[in-house]
Order: sequence, then C-alpha cells, then structure tokens
Amino acid sequence: MINFEYIRASSVKAAVDALAKNPTGGFIAGGTNLIDLMKRGVTAPTRLIDINNLPLKQVEATAAGLHIGALAINSEVAEHDLVKNNFPLLSMAFAAGASAQLRNMATVGGNMMQRTRCTYFYDTAMPCNKRQAGSGCGALQGYNRMHAIFGASDKCIAVHPSDMCVALAALNATITVSGPKAERKILFTDFHRLPGETPEKDNTLQKGEIITGIIIPKNSFNKNYYLKIRDRASYAFALVSVAVALEVTGDTIKNARLAMGGVAHKPWRLTEAEKFLSGKKISKENFTKAAELAMKGAKGYGHNNFKLKMVPISIVEALIKATGLV
Amino acid sequence: MDTSNKNEGRRDFLKKSTALAALTIASPALIKAGENDEKIAAWFEKIPLQVEVNGIVHKLSVEPRVTLLDLLREQLHLTGTKKGCDHGQCGACTVHVNGKRINSCLSLAVMNDGKKITTIEGIADGDKLHPMQEAFIKHDGFQCGYCTPGQIMSGIACINEGHANSADEVREFMSGNICRCGAYPNIVDAIIEVKKGGQSS
Amino acid sequence: MDNLTKQKDIDRVDGVQKVTGTAKYSAEYDFPGMLYGVLACSNITKGTINEIDTKAAENAPGVSAVITHLNCPELPGYKTTEAEAKMAPTKKGYKVFADNIVRFNGQPIAIVVADTFERAVYAASLVKANYSKEKHNTDFAEAIKSGTPLEGNNFKEYVRGEANAWKNAAVKIEAEYTMPIEVHNPMEIHGITVVWDGENKVTLYEKTQALSSTQQNIMRAFGLKQENVRIITQFIGGAFGSAFNTWPHSMAALIAGRKVGKPIKLMLTRNQMFNLVGYRPEAIQKISMGASADGKLTGITHEATAMTASYNEFTEGIVNGSRSLYNCPNVNTIYKVYPLDLSQPTWMRGPGETTGAFALESAMDEMAYALKMDPIEFRLLNYAETDLERKKPYSSKFLKEAYQLGADKIKWKDRNPEPRSMKEGDWLIGYGTGSGIFSAWRGAAKVAAKLLPDGSLILQSGVTDMGPGTATAMTKLASDTFGLSDRSIKFEMGDTNLPPGPMQGGSGTTSTLGTAVYNVCVSMKKKLADLVKDNPVFHTEIVHNVKAEDLLFENGMMMLATDKTKRITYAEVIKSAGLKELVVEEDSKPNPMTNHSAFSYAVHFVKVMVHEKTGVVKVTRVVSAVDSGKIINEKTAESQIVGAVVGGISMSLHEEGVIDHRYGRWVNNNFADYHVAVNADVPAIEVLFVDKPDPVLNPIGAKGMGEVGIVGFAAAITNAIFHATGKRIRSLPVTADKLI
Repeated sequence: MINFEYIRASSVKAAVDALAKNPTGGFIAGGTNLIDLMKRGVTAPTRLIDINNLPLKQVEATAAGLHIGALAINSEVAEHDLVKNNFPLLSMAFAAGASAQLRNMATVGGNMMQRTRCTYFYDTAMPCNKRQAGSGCGALQGYNRMHAIFGASDKCIAVHPSDMCVALAALNATITVSGPKAERKILFTDFHRLPGETPEKDNTLQKGEIITGIIIPKNSFNKNYYLKIRDRASYAFALVSVAVALEVTGDTIKNARLAMGGVAHKPWRLTEAEKFLSGKKISKENFTKAAELAMKGAKGYGHNNFKLKMVPISIVEALIKATGLV
Repeated sequence: MDTSNKNEGRRDFLKKSTALAALTIASPALIKAGENDEKIAAWFEKIPLQVEVNGIVHKLSVEPRVTLLDLLREQLHLTGTKKGCDHGQCGACTVHVNGKRINSCLSLAVMNDGKKITTIEGIADGDKLHPMQEAFIKHDGFQCGYCTPGQIMSGIACINEGHANSADEVREFMSGNICRCGAYPNIVDAIIEVKKGGQSS
Repeated sequence: MDNLTKQKDIDRVDGVQKVTGTAKYSAEYDFPGMLYGVLACSNITKGTINEIDTKAAENAPGVSAVITHLNCPELPGYKTTEAEAKMAPTKKGYKVFADNIVRFNGQPIAIVVADTFERAVYAASLVKANYSKEKHNTDFAEAIKSGTPLEGNNFKEYVRGEANAWKNAAVKIEAEYTMPIEVHNPMEIHGITVVWDGENKVTLYEKTQALSSTQQNIMRAFGLKQENVRIITQFIGGAFGSAFNTWPHSMAALIAGRKVGKPIKLMLTRNQMFNLVGYRPEAIQKISMGASADGKLTGITHEATAMTASYNEFTEGIVNGSRSLYNCPNVNTIYKVYPLDLSQPTWMRGPGETTGAFALESAMDEMAYALKMDPIEFRLLNYAETDLERKKPYSSKFLKEAYQLGADKIKWKDRNPEPRSMKEGDWLIGYGTGSGIFSAWRGAAKVAAKLLPDGSLILQSGVTDMGPGTATAMTKLASDTFGLSDRSIKFEMGDTNLPPGPMQGGSGTTSTLGTAVYNVCVSMKKKLADLVKDNPVFHTEIVHNVKAEDLLFENGMMMLATDKTKRITYAEVIKSAGLKELVVEEDSKPNPMTNHSAFSYAVHFVKVMVHEKTGVVKVTRVVSAVDSGKIINEKTAESQIVGAVVGGISMSLHEEGVIDHRYGRWVNNNFADYHVAVNADVPAIEVLFVDKPDPVLNPIGAKGMGEVGIVGFAAAITNAIFHATGKRIRSLPVTADKLI
C-alpha cells in the first residue's frame, strides 16, 4: 500500500472541499471494504478524508419516513427499535450480512459504496474491466459461480454484494447526496447501475459527491422476509438472496415488493412479479407464477447456471416464509 | 510514547520516495504545500495519534497506512491480537474499540484517535483471569490458541450486545471468528456459561 | 510399580498463555533492529524470468535489500549434485531464488527487506519482472486426458486374490467420486523470525511440526553445523500438515537475514498460504465393488487419480484403506498421479486415507443399499479380523465396539432406512455413517527428566505442538506414571537444544513421545528407589533392602506397598541425597511391529437436515466413536476428535480450491471465497472413546487420533444426504446447488 495523506473532515462541506482539491483521493468511513481494496492494490487513493466525525449518524422518524444518516453503523441501525418495529426487512437484511464485527464498523453509506467481490476485480494480475477499463472480463469465460444472471453485459458480469441494499431497494428508499453543486436526491433503485459498456462505474454518484443519508418512506408492509442462500450458514456472500415486503389483508396481497441480491450488478427489483402479485391471493401457484415472471431475461454464464434454478425456488420460498403459507 | 525508532531521516525519505514524489506532482495542493518541506513530510510520513490501549494512553506518531492491528502487534508489541487473514475475513484480530468489537485489520490506526482500545492483554485483572478466559480454559474452547484472543474478545462482546441468549444465537453471532481447529462447540459452551453466570466485562 | 494411577483429566497446561495472548507464535518475537521481509511473487504460471527490475524497490524508503535469483548467494545446498542432475524433474524439487525458472503462479521471485512492515509491503509491490511465458497446464482433467502419469515404485498396482473380481459378483456397483483441492488454512499465517549471529550460526523461530528435519534441511542448505542451527517453536497456530516442509518463504527469510545481518521477520499473506505451504491434492476415484447376494464382499477395485507439482512427486495412501478395512478376498488398487504446473501438495490431516475413505465409505453405503442391508450390518458382516494386506493380526482392533457405541448413542436402528422417508417441516432428515482407519505407529524420541529438590519434575523434549495439546497429554501421562501432581510437572518443548523429540504429526506423537515419557518416569522411579534403598524409613521386619517393586509412587511420595505409613517425599529424597537435581534421559525406539498391524479406527454417525426446496444442508448431530487405544487425557482428546469432525463438516459441505486454468491463478485464495465451516455450521458433537489399551504398540496403550477423526467423515455426510434426499452426491463439497 502506498502511504497517503490523511485528513479528518469536520463538516460535510469540508469533506467535499477536501476531495475537490485532490481528485485521486477518497472518503473513508468504516473502511471495511476500502482498506481491503487498498491492501490488494485494487485502489490507491493518495488522500483519505476521514468522514467519521461528520454529524450523519442519526436514525430518526421524520414526516417523510425513516431518516438514516450515511454514517450510522450497520449494527446500530439493525437493532434500532424504529427499524426493528417499522422496517423489519431492513433489520433482517443487516443480520444476514458480514459478521458482528464488520457490522460494528460498516456504515450505511459505505455499505452502498462497497465494490463487487468478483475475484477478477480483486486480483490485479487478472483482467477486469471494472478495475481497469478495457482489460477484459475475467469472469465471463472464467470462474463465475457468484456472478450475475440479470442485466449483465459482455464487459462485466459482477454482482453487488450488499444485503442491506437489497432491502433498501425493495423499500423504495431515497438517497440524499451533497456535493460541490447542490444537494440532490437519488432514488435507491437508480443509485446502483448496470455495467453496460462502463462497468467501472458502480453507481450514479457524481464526482465529488458524498452520500449524507437515506430516507425510507413509511409503509404498510405487514409481511416481511429476507432469504439468503449461501455456501455456509453465516459470514458468506449470497449465492442468491430475496427481500420480500408485502401488504396483506386477509389472504390477499394488496401491495408487493421484491428485490434480489447475488444476481445482478445492482440490487435487482422484480417489478413484474410485484405487479403480478398485487391483488392476488396468497397461494403457491401465484408465487410460482411470480417467480416465472421474475426470470425473464435471466442468463447463466456456466458456473452460475444453477442460479437459473435456484432463483425461482428462492423467490417462492421467501414468499412462503413471509406469508407463513403452509 | 513514540515506539517507532526505525525510520530513517525525513529528508532521506523524501529523496528516495520517487513514487510518492510523482504523486505530489499530480496534485496542485501538494505542490503548493511542497514548498513547505516540513508540512509535506508530515503529510506523507506520520501523523500524531493518541489512543488508550488497555488503560494506557499512548501518544504516537504513525503513518496513515498503518492498520490498528499492525500498530498493536508491531509497534506496541501487543501480539495477543492475531493476524489471520488481514482482510476482515476471519476475526482473529478482534479487539474492542470504545467497547464495541471490530476487526482491527480493517481499521487504520489513525482512525482511532482519542478512542479506548481493549485487547486480550487488557481484560484480566492482574493474575485474575476474566471469566471468559476462565471459561475458555474450563471448556477447552481452543486447541492451537491462535484464534482464541479474537474469540474471547468477540465472546465478551457477544454477551454485552445481548446476543448470547441461546446456543444458536451464539453460533450465529460468533460466526465472524473462524476456528480452524474446530473448537466451536466448546466455545459456545464457554460463552453460554459466562452468560448464565451473569458475568461480562 | 508400573500401574497408571488414573487421575482426573487436566486442563491445557498452556491454557493461560493462550487465553491471555502471551503465547508467542513464530512471527511474534521482537529484536533490536529487526527488519521485515515480504515476498514478491510471479504472476505467470510457467516460463523464465528474462529481466527483473528491483530498482524502484531498492530505492523505496526504508528498504535495505532486495534479493532475487540474480543476487542470491550460492548456497552449499543449492549446488546441483550429479545424482540430482540425472533425476526426473518431479524428483528435483524447487529451491527459492536458485534459478530464473517459474514453475507455478505465485512463485516467489524476490524478497524485499525493509525497516517497517508497511514499507516492505509497498516496496515488494514495486518489483517488476519480464518473463518468457511457456504454455502451462494446471487443469487436472486436461492432464488426465492428454498427459502422462508418473511412473515408478509408488505406482505399482496392488492385487490380492483376483483383480477385478467384482465383475463376477452377484451384486455390483461402480461409481466415481471427486474431490477438489483442499487447503490446510491454519489460522496462524505461516511466519518465521530469523536471527543470524554472523554467517554461520542462526536461531530461527519457525512454524514447524518437525524440528529435527527442519534443522537438517537448514544445515544442508547453508552448510552449517548442527550446534549452529537452533530452532525455537513454542507455539504453532494450527498446521494440519502444512508445517512439515521447510518452505520457500522460510529459505527466503534465512537467505535475506544472512545477507543483511539483522534479524528478519516474515509473515506470508493469507493469499500466499494457498500456494506456498501445500494443499490436499484433487482426486478422482473410481470404486467398483462386488458382493454375494447375502452381503459378503467378493471384490473391490479402487482406482485413484491425483495430481502433484511438476517439480515434486507427492504421493499418499489414497487407496490403502481399501486394502485392509474390510474382509474381502479380492482387492486390487491402482494409483496414478499427474504432474501439473502448480505448487506442490503436501500431507493434510488424514493424508490419503481421508480422500480414499470418502470413496470407499460412500461405495460401502451404495452397496448396502444395493443389497438392501443396513450399512452397519453390512460392515459387520465384512469385518476384518486380521490384516489381509500384511497377513498379520491386529495389535488391537475395537472398531466393532465403536460401531456399537455410536449406533446406540444416535439410535441408529430407529431411523427409517428408506431414502427420503423422514421429514421435519420443510426439512428432509437423513442419517448416515462412515468409518475410518489410520496407521498407528511408534517412532524414535528422547526425553530428559529432571527432578528438583522441591519435588517438581521437568520433562524436556524437542517436539512441537500445533494444537492437540501434546504438553498437556505428556504432563498427564507423567503425572499418572510418576505419581506426581500435574501442577508439579513442567513439560518443556519446542527447541532443538532439547533432546530430540518426534515430529508432531502422522498420529504418532503421543505413541512415540508418550513411550519416552513413560520410560523416563519408570527410570526415574528406579533411581529414586536406589537412593532410598538404605533409608531407615523403609526398614521394617519384612523389608531390609527396598526395591522399586516394593514401593508405591503416589502424590509425590514413595511409600512401602505393604505399609503406606512408611513414606518419604521425592523432595526429601533429593534433598537428603544432597542433589541439585536428579536427571534421567530415556528414549522411545521405533516399534518395527514385525508380528502385528496397528491402526486406529473411527466411526461417525451424523444427522443432517436438507431443505427440500433450497437444498441447504445443516448438520444437526454428530456422534463419533473412536478406537485410538488408551486415552491419555480425555478432555483434550475429545477436543481433537471434535476438531477433526469440524474439519470433516468443512470438507464435506464447504471447501473447494479453485484455479482459473487460463491463467494458472487461484481465484478463491482467501477466507471470504474459500469457505471453511464457521460456528453456525457446527452442532454439538458427541465423542465416544472405546478407551481400551493397545497391548503391543507401546507401553502406554495409546494409538493415534489426530487423523482418524476426519477419515470417513465426508462419506457419513454424503450418505446421510442420500438417506435424506435419495440423491447420491459423489463430488465434494455438497453445496446447495447440487441438491436442487
């Protein structure tokens, strides 16, 4: 690792200014992914701006919904009463991610900003368009067990590794952003992007911008479940994960939200399946049909072909778990 | 206390640091700062850091790239905290920062300015072991002992967080600490026993 | 006098050090002026280094040396002898920095030495090489298809009775089983601290399971006298076989340390652990088995194909278990090994047998189902009462008792043997069994004992402990044999300056070292008896000239067997004799086992739950019954089996080393992508010991247990998964995708 300049920012403005002065620098919050990447030589910022002292740690109920500061710690958000009681899906997703130690370090903003865990991205001796544009995609013809089946391109088939983001995508969260220009809001589902021709860009954050928080709108979802299938019982990234939030009255689904992890370059919303389920009865048949709709456009790349089978199974299973259907 | 006496002269460093010099050219801010030799050196070499480790306040000067783990092991000679992967994937480096368990390999030392750090060396009361240490011995919660400091620090935190209410809960919340010797069942027994004894740090 | 007076189990003697963080591992020593070594490694798989640019590294801050093949000093051990020159490439080995040849991806091409760890890491990243690449092959399947297996004595077919007799059987099965590369991955990253005193004398703190052979290797490499190579290994943070060899990084640190004349510490990275300290080789095995309709085995053919490095002929006994575990008159085994452009494999827990038993014990289950027999009854029907391979009786074999213990405990008979017949909620329930065998043996070791005037006993031997608790077991054994509280006994080890101990491994440490400890305790008792033969305490009407046989040794005292009130403490004996210490040295001599075969045995019973839709597998219960002879210290012995079982769960469900053959590079060489079992994967594990002494192998009755606990375990899991789901999974690890 190169040695780098380290400064602590005391306000959002100071942080943004400090980054503007050194475009090859970056922010550091929890550091759980950034330091990992710096040790592997994947990224080498020349200036780190420590933003941990910024006043962005709140978890509070507002008129617009739940406001969570970008620097709120994953474990604290997961265990916060407001979250546990009103947004249980988010608590469940947090609990399924990483380890207790990492959740004590990682921030909400950092969780969004984490890079893919694709092995080709991490190994600087192998090709990766995300790490080095134009070098090729190692995973496309290589070992791609963990990789995307939705929305990939021939430039990149990596997936976004977060669990938290899958829940936030399902819950229609909005991200608040500050930057050299004005503050702005980004819909969570518009934040992460598909790789297309420019897989080096993970998200739609502009140069010099900083995430300040998220707002999760109030909802009436009374059936929630986060299902995560992985290669061991804990402390592993998802092969496939499914976030389910349903508003159910009697045996009818009034409103459905579904999102998946481990299948795409971004948290993958299943909008067609959601539309289908709205107004439908809770039944195995409807769940199966929803899963079928969700699979439109899915494509395997070899080692991950099993996901074509595992994904619909998981969607149905998550819906069953959420609704308690026997 | 500045425990690092291994560094050559600052000017020598600047002269030899060709790669870093190239970086300074890339940044207008640094070129300006470069006129003041003292300042640029400070930026790239070391910055002051004050941390309290096991009740002792250390006034240090460290390179920003030094992790908390390496600071503990290589500069403060507190080798009880272990390096098992250096990437937050095993938990051997678990310490408490302001009472919370974290992976010290993924925290820069300088990010811990003003914080209280507790390591395995800091939990016994003189010769009297912490109840978790006693329980690990009693239940044989280890073999080779390398993951043990991390397991114990994590186990104490697991109880303090309120995540030790059942064997299954302990298993889940201790899954960030890999034990390759396979002492997991005994580790779970040790934590459950300490929890039942109502004791924690 | 030689009766073992059994006391309560003892806690680990090094427990306090381990729970307080004061136990020192090899990269945790500090010396004035100490420098840090970091390796730079190749990023091609095969070829030669044309140029290597070290200027940037040399000029980086704090760097004192960069050593490559270009400036590596000529070492006595690096000279190619005439005999070596004639050897096949796979026998030649590989010596770090000896030449410009790249044999595997990630091979060290330089060591960078700097004053801080961070500076050394950074400088190592600046070393750049320019290569002439050659076409490589790291793909085992490709080698089998188009390559040539190694030849020689290690690869002769074994035939007992008639080869391929299974073909003529009434009931037959044939199946192929595959296992990926598995990596030891001990929690302690391999590290070394090297302190040279001039150019001809060195002390090193090294992670090694074998002090003596490591010392010999270093003496040979550097042309040093034995007394000038001291190795200290106080603690090893796990190894499981990865710490027998003197690996390239250790040689690199030694070379660099001598060059710079300062102490050097080097710790690998977890990534480097995947190709610089060995692994369990990938294997494809075919088992063909025949039985009579009433369940008698009539033929077993076991063909195993494995891989090794192009520069190292690594072989292990994958097919050995199939020759002797069951009473089958016709057995033939074939073993083939293909060289690949990978780093070298090495022994990993239960080497050979673990791989082989996955196939054999899976096949036994398949055959039991083909015969519609209970898998345990099928095994009992084919129980080997003698070793048919060596044509010798067993020194002891209590596998039958182990079957019984384990089957009773898990209530084996209560299961419905029909596949996919048991269910709890969404979870399919399965029970499975698998058994294991591993050689028991006794080698050479010396132990010194010193009895001090305070009555305490110091035992010394140059053995190391990677975790099983060797010092604890030896303390317990000495306590029982010598009649002294374990708190008054100190076992010193981990230093070549001590009398040479055995290696730690191969399940022979306790048998070997225990024999020497036992012998030294018996000798010490005789010495004490000599010292008191005229002591007035023992002069009674019956006894005038007391002998060891007349005495009991208990609680640090010698007493007359016929009158326990006539007694004297060991301390008084030493003091009254005016001695500073009483020293005895004894050894263990290798037991040639001319008339017997010796093995340890284990049988595992597991309960698994398989989610009927998602294919997720949970192991919810394990009962392991073990015949490893007499148990010396049950507490640590139990932990050892528990640990082996956890390794077995990991092997069955999680571990898979993956290499991208296009680049010859590892793609999951870290703990996030190479999954080992975590706490949440492991249920409570019940361990049962037959605990009957082996009367032949050694005077303490103990066989080995470190290996046998993992042998056969993976088959127990896959057999249970078959019982749960009706799906026979023949390739490890069994991940959820294989079950949907």
